[in-house]
Amino acid sequence: MLERLAEWLALTSLSALIQTHNAWVIPTIQSVHIVAIGIVLTAVVMIDLRILGWAGHDQTLRETTDRFGPWLSGALIVLLVTGALMIIGEPRRELLSFSFWLKMSLVIVGTIIAAIFKMTLKSNEPRWEQKGKARSVKWLAILTLLIWISIVVLGRLIAYDHIWGSWSFGPIA
Amino acid sequence: MDTAAVLEWLKSSHLATGIRDSLYLFPLLEAFHVFGLALVFGMTVILDFRLLGIASVRRPVTQVMSDIMKWIWLAFMLTAITGILMFITNADVYYHNFFFRTKMVLLALAGVNMVIFELTSGRVVHRWNKDATAPLPGKTAAILSLLLWITIIFMGRWIGFTTTKSQVPQAPDVNFDELFTPPASNEGGAPK
Repeated sequence: MLERLAEWLALTSLSALIQTHNAWVIPTIQSVHIVAIGIVLTAVVMIDLRILGWAGHDQTLRETTDRFGPWLSGALIVLLVTGALMIIGEPRRELLSFSFWLKMSLVIVGTIIAAIFKMTLKSNEPRWEQKGKARSVKWLAILTLLIWISIVVLGRLIAYDHIWGSWSFGPIA
Repeated sequence: MDTAAVLEWLKSSHLATGIRDSLYLFPLLEAFHVFGLALVFGMTVILDFRLLGIASVRRPVTQVMSDIMKWIWLAFMLTAITGILMFITNADVYYHNFFFRTKMVLLALAGVNMVIFELTSGRVVHRWNKDATAPLPGKTAAILSLLLWITIIFMGRWIGFTTTKSQVPQAPDVNFDELFTPPASNEGGAPK
């Protein structure tokens, strides 16, 4: 099914356009994607460092999320757009890759955690800000950090899907 | 020892051979290179935007800097180490690559830009610490920094598209016609 979806995508006119100019279009999209990764990852890291008490002590948790939240969601949109263009431009490379699907699953988990965090911040803030009582939210910060690091790493590993051996959906390159 | 001999020595070292022979090491080095550079870039943006008055405006500049500088340096070390390890696996090819050379020059310029900032606006930071924007030298440094780092990211990605494991350029000169055409042979681990 994925094969057929990839083949159909590869025949669309946008895909044809990207493929025709692939010598510079694909590296450009990938570069913009990495620039946006820098923003998203840094925003996540800065919020997590604040939760862990390793940076930004002078700001409350709310101030920190207000400061970095808009950059996080803005750059995430750039990531979705450039990511979609990469799928359309090289459907087989992405859709038949194990790293890609693992990465997408983690993106969904990471986004859900961020959304729940944002929604419950108001009621939990007094507890999370208390010294020594915020253990659970600190574990959550470490977990989200690991999730977003894995997302970045898996993104690059899409180019090397053969390392997964038989787990890869594609032909062994 | 001339350059070619040094490059050959690096490439044939145990470390380089070990990385080349491993299925996982080069991809993982590249992945953590991206992770490190993403943090270096993103945190640099925080400071540059503060200097330009785009973000974090209500925080003193020294506060913004003290929050991020140690993380920038940690991330930079990770990026540099993974970069050097990737370089030695194919030293002669990278050394002759136009985009690799441009990237190294731009990295050096980013360093010079940082030193100039420290010697100008940075030296008198206490005078404008709480202002919404930095004085002109500081703003100039911020704009240059953004342009340099974004270009460095682009150059880095282009290195992956213009090098293969088995290809050494015939002449070290740059043929501009070939820069925007992907290499014909794709065998080996061209990191695309």
